[in-house]
Amino acid sequence: MTVSLRFADGMIQIDAESPDQRPPLPGVETDPRTGIQSAPAYRYAAIRAILAQLDIPVDDAIHVDQTLQLTTAYKLRPYQEDALAAWSDRSQRGVIELPTGSGKTVIAISAIAALGVPTLIVVPTIDLLEQWETELTREFGDMVEIGRLGGGEQRLGEITVSTYDSAYLRIAEIGNKFGLLVCDEVHHLGGQGYQDIGRLCAAPARLGLTATFERPDGAHEEIRELIGAQVYSIDVDSLAGEHLAAYDIRRIEVELTPQERANYEDAQQTFLDYVRSAGIQFTSGSDYLQLVKRSGNDPRAREALLAKQRAREIMMNAEEKAIELSRILDRHREDRVIVFTAHTELVYRLSERFLLPAITSETGTTERRGILSKFRDGTYSRVIAANVLDEGVDVPDANVAVVISGSGSEREFTQRLGRILRPKQDGSKAVLYELVSNETAEERVADRRR
Amino acid sequence: MLRKDLLRVSRRGGRYQPQFIGPANAQLAASILETFRSHVGTPQHELDAAIEQLEREETDFKLVRGLRALCERETTVATVSEIPPDRIRRVVFAAAESADGVASSAERDDVLKQAAKRLGTTSDTVAEGLYADRSKNQILTAFEPRWDADGLCAQYNLSLAQTALFDATEVRIRSDDPKALISALGRLRLLYEIERTEDGRVVVITGPDALFRRTRRYGTAFARLLRTVAQSALTWELVATIDDRGSERTLTLHNGDITVPESEPIAEPTYDSAIEADFAARFTALESDWELQREPEPLETGHRVMIPDFAFDYAHSDFRVYFEVMGFWTPEYIEKKLTQIRDVEDVELIVAVDESLGVGEMLKQTESHIIPYTNTVRVKAVVDVLRSYETQLLAAAAETLPAAIEPSAQVTSLEAVATAYGVSVKAIENRSFPAHVQLGQQLVSPTVLETIGDEVSDGMTYADVESIAGKYEITETSALLSTIGYRVKWDGLSGGTVKSLPE
Repeated sequence: MTVSLRFADGMIQIDAESPDQRPPLPGVETDPRTGIQSAPAYRYAAIRAILAQLDIPVDDAIHVDQTLQLTTAYKLRPYQEDALAAWSDRSQRGVIELPTGSGKTVIAISAIAALGVPTLIVVPTIDLLEQWETELTREFGDMVEIGRLGGGEQRLGEITVSTYDSAYLRIAEIGNKFGLLVCDEVHHLGGQGYQDIGRLCAAPARLGLTATFERPDGAHEEIRELIGAQVYSIDVDSLAGEHLAAYDIRRIEVELTPQERANYEDAQQTFLDYVRSAGIQFTSGSDYLQLVKRSGNDPRAREALLAKQRAREIMMNAEEKAIELSRILDRHREDRVIVFTAHTELVYRLSERFLLPAITSETGTTERRGILSKFRDGTYSRVIAANVLDEGVDVPDANVAVVISGSGSEREFTQRLGRILRPKQDGSKAVLYELVSNETAEERVADRRR
Repeated sequence: MLRKDLLRVSRRGGRYQPQFIGPANAQLAASILETFRSHVGTPQHELDAAIEQLEREETDFKLVRGLRALCERETTVATVSEIPPDRIRRVVFAAAESADGVASSAERDDVLKQAAKRLGTTSDTVAEGLYADRSKNQILTAFEPRWDADGLCAQYNLSLAQTALFDATEVRIRSDDPKALISALGRLRLLYEIERTEDGRVVVITGPDALFRRTRRYGTAFARLLRTVAQSALTWELVATIDDRGSERTLTLHNGDITVPESEPIAEPTYDSAIEADFAARFTALESDWELQREPEPLETGHRVMIPDFAFDYAHSDFRVYFEVMGFWTPEYIEKKLTQIRDVEDVELIVAVDESLGVGEMLKQTESHIIPYTNTVRVKAVVDVLRSYETQLLAAAAETLPAAIEPSAQVTSLEAVATAYGVSVKAIENRSFPAHVQLGQQLVSPTVLETIGDEVSDGMTYADVESIAGKYEITETSALLSTIGYRVKWDGLSGGTVKSLPE
């Protein structure tokens, strides 16, 4: 008896000469609509393993075992080697948890070279997409075709990097083309739709990379099923000092101007009035969601939301911050400075005011690469960027970072940014400024209530 | 299709109903079109501000944004700047770098001046052009909508319904153009089953992965499918199961809800072959108890479907016979047809086969009635088969009918009685009606006959008698007169008078 395996629309279709004698295979069911026996593609490795164990001849048209000749120049650090070995020991399946900035990309590239099979790499943002594409082209570009799915391009290669969105849309069609699936920031794979990327892909080898594996919604159970268990983990503290830079944090709180304060209070009051009259408590995040929902058909709710947005913008754009930034830029003329803020509009306003090269989600690929490489080679010593560090993008070394946030400190953001700071050649410590608006409004509201 | 955050649905009563717009919203659609039109030549952010103003005035900002999203697809925007902005930036940032950075506004002025010199222009041009290529600064150069205000509303309704399907896990469709539906399913790589319901067969549609899990993965394919269905069919109904963040809701759409703008009005169905067209024309011209339907509904055959060319619906009861005309085609076509006919679900099927195909023998093993033909299908041959069904139906009906029938109405007809029993007139002709006297095709109670007998007298004009009969809805006047004991004495062409018969 020969069992034949075909791939169609994200499914492995199984056909046997005498289906009655065929052993039960994991996940395989008969589709009453077509009469075809099939299983979601991620079962492929398990199905092959069982057929091999039973010595049943297989007519396999799925072809994920094409070999590529790949080499890499990377030298792994000891902990990276440990991580890779742990993954290989678990049949090349599983999740590696490492902090941002500790070289997850390097581990993946070494895994790809070691396996030498067509690989699909899935990443959550366009920034990461481009960063991976650059790395992969540098390492393997002269040996194989590097494909890219996402950010306006749809190109398949032996090694292809894709956004989660593009991969979700195309996986049922291309899920048979890869022997290795790499999911960067793999916690995203737990999202309902994104699970399909794991489910409908036939790749036997699977590698997940993340800085934060546990998802609060328990979806990491799904990740365990689709990618494998966590095989290696190391935390920031055990890396600090060794591979990550030490830096000082200086928090600068600025005051709103009287006009800004008046506008802020006005907007904030509009918001609070509505919230109070509608009896919304804000004890949990879902209360805010409720307000957003109401704004769909209640103009007053919408006005309240817009007011809240205005209040935030006033905080974010406080003139005093720009003045503070000008002092910092003046003080650090000899240094390499990266300015970050989550608000695109603020990035452009500051870029126009201080003539700083800007990188945002609006910046085209060529220009973004140009700016980053000029920053790297020293042609530019300052850049301003919006949120590009959200998912751990490699940014050229800097010794001064300025984070401009609204009122609160965006702790997570700041920590990640800290990790890319490097001491200067002369050994002086890197420094990170946090510019935040001094929020006294809440206290005043509290005062009024008394 | 719209972005999902612009979806407007009502969730009342567990439903999931798109909030379609109608003539009441045409004014809003017109002002959005006008806003776009009047902003040709201005930067994008000015248009944004104008539309935001409309959003504030309207109670439903999502509607405004949805209409805006559709209009945006009809615009052309361009970067307008003397010098390409990316070049300006390169020069400006290089100048800023050689000035060791810009911290004050005086430094900024200096750097802009230097850059302007390098670029051979003014500081103002440099400052204005720095980000002239950002989408909010780009100029709206053309707006060429494909629709007027009503057309925009129609486009909106279609897009909205499509968007509502994004979260569908399954759709069920009934359509009067099943062929277009089935072929679209293949193109969209969807799978289907035929389900028999009280109202006929419905096509239940999902995708491959639905075998293993309830999934919204095929939502966009369903949205595309909706367009095909709305475009090809005259009457259709679509019922979708929606996974609305974990709770299950039902979305129902039908042909009254949406139209596909710009599509040709749906023409009468065309026939696959002249033989079919010819047969349909000749059969329809015939008086018969069978109503002819074109491409009635998909039948299950193995794991595929077969859409027969015709169905005959019996006028007197719920009984349907399918009819397939097998003309000359390719060998693959014949093979496929043969398989379909062999495997088709248990229905009554007549197959007309072109004799030159030489497949008659193969078809003999099937349950179907085979009618061989050359050149044209003889209507009589088909009618003969239908007659044999009629005979069976009559016999079956006869078994259920009582020997004596007593309708409650004083005056009724054989036809009305037959309809009440769901049989043909023929089936009740040999029954007895003890409570009525049969006058031709009518049944009249003795009481009514007595009353009429009292009203009619010797020498009355025939016309008067007719109007008395008419009062009781009796049309069989001659039979009536002879039953109550009169005859008519005709008087030339002008009419006649009634005379009582001798006892």
